[in-house]
Amino acid sequence: MKNIIKYIPKIVLIIVLAFLSHACADLEEDVSGVLSIENLSGEGDITAALAPIYRGMLEAYQHPHAAGVPTYGADDRTTWWAGNKAPLRVFDRFDYGSGESSDINWLPRGWDAYWKVIYYSNTLIEGLKTSTAPEDIVKIADGEARFLRALAYFNLVRTHGNMPILLDGDVPTGEEQRATVLQNYGHIESDLLIAEENLPSPDAVKSVGQASLAAAKTLLADLYLTWGGWPVKDNSKLTLAAQKAKEVIDLNYFELMPIDELWLLSGQNSGESVFSIQFSEVENLQNGWPAGTSFHEARGWSDMYPELQFFNDFPEGPRKDATFYTDIPQRGVAAGKIFTKDPPTIPWQQSQRQHPMYKKFATSENLTVGNRTAGYRAFEVIRYAEVLLIYAEAQARIGETPESIEALNQVKRRAMGLPYLSPDGATDVTTATVNEILDEKGWELAGEYKRWFDLTRSETLEEIAAKRDPNENVTLVRQPTKAQYIAPIPFQAISTSKLVQNPEGFSVAGE
Amino acid sequence: MKNNYLVSILILCLTFEVRAQQIQITGTVTSSEDKAGLPGVNVIVQGTSTGTVTDVDGTYALEVAGESAVLVFSSVGYLQEEVTVGSRTLINMVMSPDITSLEEIVVVGYGTMKKSDLTGSLTSVSADDYQLQPITRIDQALQGRAAGVTVTQTSGAPGAGYKIRIRGANSISGNNAPLYVIDGLVVGDMNSINVNDIASMEVLKDASATAIYGSRGANGVVLITTKSGGKGPAKIEVETFYGVSKVTQKLPVMTPAEFAEGVNFAEGTEFYTSDEIADLRNGGGEDWHERFFREAPFSNLQLSVSGGSDAINYFVSGNLYNADGTLRNQNYKRYSVRTNINATLSKKIGVGLNAYFSREEETGVRANLYQGLTWDPTTPAFNETGDYNFVPLKPGVGNGAINQLVAPENNVRENFNHQIIANGYFKYNFRDDLELNVSGGLERLDRNNNSYTSILVNQIGAAKVFNQGITRLQNTNRLTYTWNKNSNHRLQIDAIHEQQFVKAQGTEAEASGFFSDNTTYKNLGLGAIQRTTSKAYPNGTNNPVSESLQSFLGRVNYSLFDKFLFTASIRADASSKFAENSRWGYFPSGSFAYRISDEAFIQGIEIIDDLKLRVSFGQIGSQAIEPLTRRAIPIIDTIVNYPFEGEASTIGVAPSNRLANPDLTWETTTQGNIGFDIGLWDSKLTLSLDLYQKKTTDLLLDRVLPSYVGPTVVTQNVGEVENKGFDLRLGATILDTDDWHVSSILSVSKNNNKVLALVDDIELMELGLVYQTNTFPVNPTAVQLGKPISTFRGYVFEGVYQLGEEDEAARYGKVPGQARYKDINGDTLITSDDIVTVGDGNPDFTWGWNWTVSWKKFDLNFLLLGSHGNDIYNFTRMRMMGLGAAQFHAVHADYNNRWTPSNPSEIPSGRDGTEFLSSQFIEDGSFVSMKNITLGYNFDFPGNNFIESLRIYASAENLFIITDYTGFDPEATASGSSDVDLGIDLNAYPINRSYSVGLKFMF
Repeated sequence: MKNIIKYIPKIVLIIVLAFLSHACADLEEDVSGVLSIENLSGEGDITAALAPIYRGMLEAYQHPHAAGVPTYGADDRTTWWAGNKAPLRVFDRFDYGSGESSDINWLPRGWDAYWKVIYYSNTLIEGLKTSTAPEDIVKIADGEARFLRALAYFNLVRTHGNMPILLDGDVPTGEEQRATVLQNYGHIESDLLIAEENLPSPDAVKSVGQASLAAAKTLLADLYLTWGGWPVKDNSKLTLAAQKAKEVIDLNYFELMPIDELWLLSGQNSGESVFSIQFSEVENLQNGWPAGTSFHEARGWSDMYPELQFFNDFPEGPRKDATFYTDIPQRGVAAGKIFTKDPPTIPWQQSQRQHPMYKKFATSENLTVGNRTAGYRAFEVIRYAEVLLIYAEAQARIGETPESIEALNQVKRRAMGLPYLSPDGATDVTTATVNEILDEKGWELAGEYKRWFDLTRSETLEEIAAKRDPNENVTLVRQPTKAQYIAPIPFQAISTSKLVQNPEGFSVAGE
Repeated sequence: MKNNYLVSILILCLTFEVRAQQIQITGTVTSSEDKAGLPGVNVIVQGTSTGTVTDVDGTYALEVAGESAVLVFSSVGYLQEEVTVGSRTLINMVMSPDITSLEEIVVVGYGTMKKSDLTGSLTSVSADDYQLQPITRIDQALQGRAAGVTVTQTSGAPGAGYKIRIRGANSISGNNAPLYVIDGLVVGDMNSINVNDIASMEVLKDASATAIYGSRGANGVVLITTKSGGKGPAKIEVETFYGVSKVTQKLPVMTPAEFAEGVNFAEGTEFYTSDEIADLRNGGGEDWHERFFREAPFSNLQLSVSGGSDAINYFVSGNLYNADGTLRNQNYKRYSVRTNINATLSKKIGVGLNAYFSREEETGVRANLYQGLTWDPTTPAFNETGDYNFVPLKPGVGNGAINQLVAPENNVRENFNHQIIANGYFKYNFRDDLELNVSGGLERLDRNNNSYTSILVNQIGAAKVFNQGITRLQNTNRLTYTWNKNSNHRLQIDAIHEQQFVKAQGTEAEASGFFSDNTTYKNLGLGAIQRTTSKAYPNGTNNPVSESLQSFLGRVNYSLFDKFLFTASIRADASSKFAENSRWGYFPSGSFAYRISDEAFIQGIEIIDDLKLRVSFGQIGSQAIEPLTRRAIPIIDTIVNYPFEGEASTIGVAPSNRLANPDLTWETTTQGNIGFDIGLWDSKLTLSLDLYQKKTTDLLLDRVLPSYVGPTVVTQNVGEVENKGFDLRLGATILDTDDWHVSSILSVSKNNNKVLALVDDIELMELGLVYQTNTFPVNPTAVQLGKPISTFRGYVFEGVYQLGEEDEAARYGKVPGQARYKDINGDTLITSDDIVTVGDGNPDFTWGWNWTVSWKKFDLNFLLLGSHGNDIYNFTRMRMMGLGAAQFHAVHADYNNRWTPSNPSEIPSGRDGTEFLSSQFIEDGSFVSMKNITLGYNFDFPGNNFIESLRIYASAENLFIITDYTGFDPEATASGSSDVDLGIDLNAYPINRSYSVGLKFMF
């Protein structure tokens, strides 16, 4: 061993040389390419944080079979009785209600998108509390995040019932329990009250896609109207519903578009649009409604079309012509391009789906960007016509007024292709029942992801389902009861958390 | 050198002197390995004490009594040879190394060892084991030949697709691939390695063998040693083979007419008129199998030159491999060059450099079989004018895709990979017993992935170019002290310092909106829309991505009386993947071996010539997660952008979908191993048996969070997994005569995998689903407590409600003809509570049986493989039965037997109420296959100066597969190398049957 000692200097030298030539590996990860978002210091940071929230909402509204999947029980929606539409048929034929069908395709789409909106909103709202950006920018962004968070929660609660509540500043534990509908209404209301304060008026929004105070007020009106119906049935909220809708009308900013122009591509972001989701042709970010509502023979997917009874009850007139195609386009693909066959259309009765097709979504389609019909028109989340009808209904429930009847009549006149501000003896009504207003709302907003919520909150679902045309090819498993008012929570959320599945996990507010 | 021998032999012959009765014999003894003369070989006349020893050149001279004398050649480490003199006076002898010899040197981590000194568990596969077969990938070399190693060919794509696991999967979320070390250098990508350059592969299995690799040893280690030159003149080898592949079988599909009837049935209306169906019955429609598959040629050319002197040796090789895919338009080419040079500069100094360069070309867009084979069979691929039928002639039948021939025939995919692996060492012997070895290595991988979608396909044309560079640096400094002055005590101490650094950087450029397909991806500037993304990996979002590792290792080997062998090692690793406080990990191991056969009481038993007991125990780690995993990194991606004005998008930055975990640290595997090595009848029969138990704790586990939480995943150190089982290797030389040689090696691997604990009280986790998103709302596989890492979930299928069972059916909201599932909890509802474990993709055991038979100059080599007890979730069949989110109508022949009131079968005919996650689609994936069989004939050309030998052979791969599985084949899987998604058949690239012929020249 002694001999080794004399070699030590040599060994040390060689090792030292080895080290010097290649210094010790740095044990820190290279994070030079990672953006730091700890601090929202300016408008740029804030806009970048807002974009994902809107994008999450886009995903929920992108197709008729995204967030709308659990609303196929409504009469303005049915689907192909064969093919791949089994998950949509589950809701169309009421094959759920006791915890079944939580594990079906497409059910998680809306759920996941809404919770993404909530997570991103929570993060932004929390971050804005310490933001060093100018106060007016912070205020507006806070309002936008709260409006979108409220919309996400509102749609979740109306679809699935009780929701766990996670707001800004809450640290998620995975141990959350479902809070009652009423508790959820509470924080949705609180968000919207802040949003209507913080958001700019509709003429002052920076981009067409951004929410204004009118959007917040309309959603608030819708919340109050829903609050007055099933399941909470707090009639005291109806006055507030009417009041908030009236505030939007009194802005005197919005108008009703001529019915034959409303659904055109050029009709997007018009004076009728209170809040809409934006798509983009330059980014090839597509609105899936034209393809989703077109039949396969028209190069679509046959995801959603009206039930026969709904179509038959729909009053004739320009609005019906603008809402449905009764002659179904016949198209093929050659050399990668869509072409129109001869004959170009066939009557709906002879079409593969044996139903009329929604025109209101398909008329803005673009047939040149692929081998399937595409769309880029903005999707109407809230239209002025809905504001008028919320007002009319809320007021009808607490006592109709000439103003509320006028609101209803404006919608009816426009539906007939008339100047909507000019009284028309043949169209106008002098009084209307709540159910008549609900019917009108159903026709006006047909297919727009509204009807299901109207049928449940007004508890008219059973009645409507009983009227279903026996010729519908999708046959009902059962007549719906209250058990079908609430959709199952997607399996992933149940299996990874402490949440209790419906119906056990759903209890009406106050219990 | 060779000529020198000839000259000396000639001279010897000339000086030959004849004596009465006594015959003078001369000759040269050479080694079969490098053809160099063998000095010191004993040449003895049998039954006498007459004998001599070969000189430094291997030559000898000897007088024998007569023609009947028998010469016995013997030398340590070589097989003894006997030859009758006869009328000859010149007797040259080629001696083969004694491969069963315990003197054999094997490579271990950071050094080499005599096999007899091994205390750990190691399986060695040398080129001798597979060189008779034409192979191109390392998985082919290892499959079935290494006990304890499970090799799965996951894809039939040329040049791709295998998964190697050593003694099961330890980790649930971490990567379970073994560590690959080529000539001492840890490498990242093994796919382009030329298997013909490999001299041997040592698979390290137990803690004693792998703990020296510390934080990366837990999955086992494959040490690859490439060839080096032997002493002697240049040895030139040229091998080439050619062959053709095709898929092993087709799937059962309906005829076009049957399909049309099926559509009419499903729609309840007449989509196809009876005239149309009659026409289809008389021909028409399309056989999509014929369109997608083809017979695919392949070829391989290998050229190598090796040789050396006392001071220097070299091995230089070049390889060209070219294979078409059995799926149309697929091609793979690999060019590679290797140069291995070792030089002894003086008694004290040695240096060496191994360098490998390769280029891979993967071209062709793969047809999507999952969509293509389920497409409309009534629509021909082309119309009368020869143009594509883009969509089904009847709208909305089959599925919603376009003709799946269009993309492969019009789109472009050209991927080029360049790899350099270079490592050099400097060795300095301070004294005979003290050596310093400093080595440095570099691996550089440049990927250039290009693709273009034709305007014909998407109307706008879309090009994508991804360029990636990965650099891997390693420096190892090893000091070895050996003490063997006393024959009763031998000691070796290694002290090692090592550092490694990896950095990946990449850029992806996309363009779309082309007005012409002319330039494809090669002129991105022609696209109207441009987007560039920085990302180190194709599916990642981070850039750059780096990792580094700093390590100190020590190891002591001690041998007492050459009978009791002890090894102890420890490694300390610090990894950049973990935060400062949890960065260091320590991995100790110890092992002991007892050579019982050296005991007197055994030496008396003649049939036993080797008997060894080995015991080892130790801890090893894994850090096989991606860098940056512990951090929450904001999402910057087009999926969080938003077009506020309905025009160009505003860039969005979203909070991370990952929850940060600064406490993240190593996953630890504790492994114990008991092994026996037995050699009987001069080691004509050898048996190695290893029993092991591994327990992995503090798992690196991706905990999936409920969707409402926000972040969807967090990686935590929780949970436990156990693997236990045995590896058995049975070798037998059954016949060994002058003309006949028959030997076989049977390898059996059995591993039981079990999840012992997950997060807190969670009993089941959903992980994986990497192979196809948006197909399943419920993950078909689950990680469950008390079960193997991957089990199949689903409803229990009980056939179809028959007529007369209306009441029972009605209780579940069903009618006769609809599927019936087991109501597990008896609540008269079929809900997700009735989803249970319906199968398991893990085999009970796997085996490989390799046979070598030679008769005179013929040789026959074949490898049988088996896997037993593994299930497969056949989602290809599920879709073919018309189920799933993207399929409209059934195409599977089973659908002909669908339930109708007049055909009360057990095949549900409708879709409503039919679950696709159900035992209906679970199949037994057990198989036995003739993986490879090769018949060869060897020509020798003794005395020919130009050519030494020639071997010609014919070979078949996957000649037969015996299985009950109804899919393409039971091996290919959609889940690739994932361990939590085992056994999923969904759009897998089927494996092939191939036939080839080859020539191998030696000069």
